[in-house]
Amino acid sequence: MSILQKRAWINLAGAVGLIVTAGIFLEVSMYINAQVHILFLLLALPVGIVAGFACYIRSISAEKKLDEREKTISRKADYCAGITFALFLAIASFGIFFVSGAKSNVPVYLLPLLVLTGIFLAQLVESATILIWCAKEQQDG
Amino acid sequence: MGSEYLTNNIRKLRFEHGQMTQQDLADKVGVTRQTIIATESGRYAPSLPLAFKIAQTFGVPIEQVFQYNNENL
Repeated sequence: MSILQKRAWINLAGAVGLIVTAGIFLEVSMYINAQVHILFLLLALPVGIVAGFACYIRSISAEKKLDEREKTISRKADYCAGITFALFLAIASFGIFFVSGAKSNVPVYLLPLLVLTGIFLAQLVESATILIWCAKEQQDG
Repeated sequence: MGSEYLTNNIRKLRFEHGQMTQQDLADKVGVTRQTIIATESGRYAPSLPLAFKIAQTFGVPIEQVFQYNNENL
């Protein structure tokens, strides 16, 4: 398994882990009906930013170790992720507009939530594209 | 509409050069074994520098390693 595939699997596992953790947290906070989630957010936000930055730095150094085929796959995956992000934002924005109407109000938290969901989706699509493309090229290898 | 494709003799040349493994070839040209697998099976068209490196490794001209077929030509 190449570095690129390992990175994609780690990203995919991380994304799934994130969904599970968020689900558990939501469930627990609803169960105990407390304001813990604000405290959790205050703690989780800096940790998340530092972790994200560390992953970004690590992916830059890993990029140098890739060969030309892997760099091509990585570029295609980035392209797919970018399209996914843009499409998601466009569909979600227009969806809200058409569903709630032009003159209604939407909660402020919805905007960063849309961006974060878009980033999450793009990450999933990037990892999936890398894995599918690598598998496609290595068939009958 | 015509089709175009790149064929190669990498597998044959590897065996003619002392049963060279895909990993050996990959190490010599500076790519991963997966890239050699994909190139050998015709699923990946290498860049010109990589194609020349592969040909140089086998000590043959590039056209002995890669053949370009285009039905339109």
